[in-house]
Amino acid sequence: MEFVRPDSIDAAVAALQAENAACLAGGATLVAMMNADLVAPDRLVSLRDVAGLHDAVRKSDGTVTIGAMRRHRETAEETDLRDGQLVLSDAAGKIANPPVRNMGTIGGSCAFADPAADYPPALVAADARLLLIGANGRRTVPADEFFLDWYETALEPGELIEAAILPPAPSGSVGSYTKLARVAGDFAIASVALVLGMEGDTCSHLAVAVGACGPAPVRRRDVEAELLGGGLGDSEIRRLADALADGLDPVDDVRASADYRRRVAPRLVRQAIGEAKQRLSGAA
Amino acid sequence: MNGEPVTLRINGAERPVGAVAPWTTLLTILREELGLTGAKRGCNQGVCGACTVMVEGEPVRSCLSLAMNCTDREIATVEGLAPAGSLAPVQQALAEGNAVQCGFCTPGILIAAHALLRRNEPLSVDDVRVGLSGNLCRCSGYKKIVEAIVRASEARP
Repeated sequence: MEFVRPDSIDAAVAALQAENAACLAGGATLVAMMNADLVAPDRLVSLRDVAGLHDAVRKSDGTVTIGAMRRHRETAEETDLRDGQLVLSDAAGKIANPPVRNMGTIGGSCAFADPAADYPPALVAADARLLLIGANGRRTVPADEFFLDWYETALEPGELIEAAILPPAPSGSVGSYTKLARVAGDFAIASVALVLGMEGDTCSHLAVAVGACGPAPVRRRDVEAELLGGGLGDSEIRRLADALADGLDPVDDVRASADYRRRVAPRLVRQAIGEAKQRLSGAA
Repeated sequence: MNGEPVTLRINGAERPVGAVAPWTTLLTILREELGLTGAKRGCNQGVCGACTVMVEGEPVRSCLSLAMNCTDREIATVEGLAPAGSLAPVQQALAEGNAVQCGFCTPGILIAAHALLRRNEPLSVDDVRVGLSGNLCRCSGYKKIVEAIVRASEARP
């Protein structure tokens, strides 16, 4: 095993072109897997010293770019995220525990793509894109086309995540991440990432992604679109929650059964939307 | 085994280490090369918190930190909390509060508590419970641990 620590993104991409090379970001997942003898890369490309990957930048139009090496604790406290973008900081603050949040990064979490991880649904609900870079240059992939299957992403061999890009959220919208877990800090049994905007009693922005209930976050843009411009009463909320439940593909695991997840996820959706509506009406 | 000599800065001292294989964790170096056995290897997966140390003033998992990635960083272990033969206030508080049972989790708890106490304000029970949420005590002696740390936060001048 070889260890390299490039100081530029171009050098990191070049180093990653070797056979069986892996990026080392915060180590929270990769080193744990190495310790368990589950993976043994031939080359570790440490991103610790790569300039530019550690920052979050807010543009004047409200777009926020979060470098792949930004740690969960930093994203949880990120003041550049506003309105509905706060779905991401809410999720970041609910990952694991303080020492792990001091280590783990958004790039590392997304690249590993644990279906029960907290960032994937939050990024999908925020309409975020992932900025990828490889030997052939850069490309961006929408979050809901990035998380493909169990631990499978749109990353090609030799590519790495450079940043997550969040578009501006509508002014006055709220973002929240509701997580059901056995104990604080555990992976989710089910989770709901939500961005909601209301103008009076009219729903003006709606994005809901369910996590930990299938290979990738589940979103029903078709139903969201039908509900936009109308009232968001109990029957509308139930319609979206039931549609989302129909789209789930959960499995039994140590945290919960698939059947439990199917039952609890729509309740979690209704709870999340109800709480967000309450926050919006409280703020008005 | 490939590897190269590295020097780590631990508790304020430069500590040269022999050839380090890339997969070697900071925890392994601390315990097996440098004799700093305060940090414990519990799960080796980042879950239990027994290996917690400070890097650049923040608590992290030494079992998930590769030694070669810790060069040019300030590392602090439980051994560095107070000069040899004396106790830091947080250590004193745990001892006086009978907050140690088997002691395996204690070094990690002390580091997490030390990080909390730097906030320099009285801590609530909830503050401490959140701050220690990444530290498991299999004796399940949480109540006295939390109480001792709350007391330590209140006792500061």
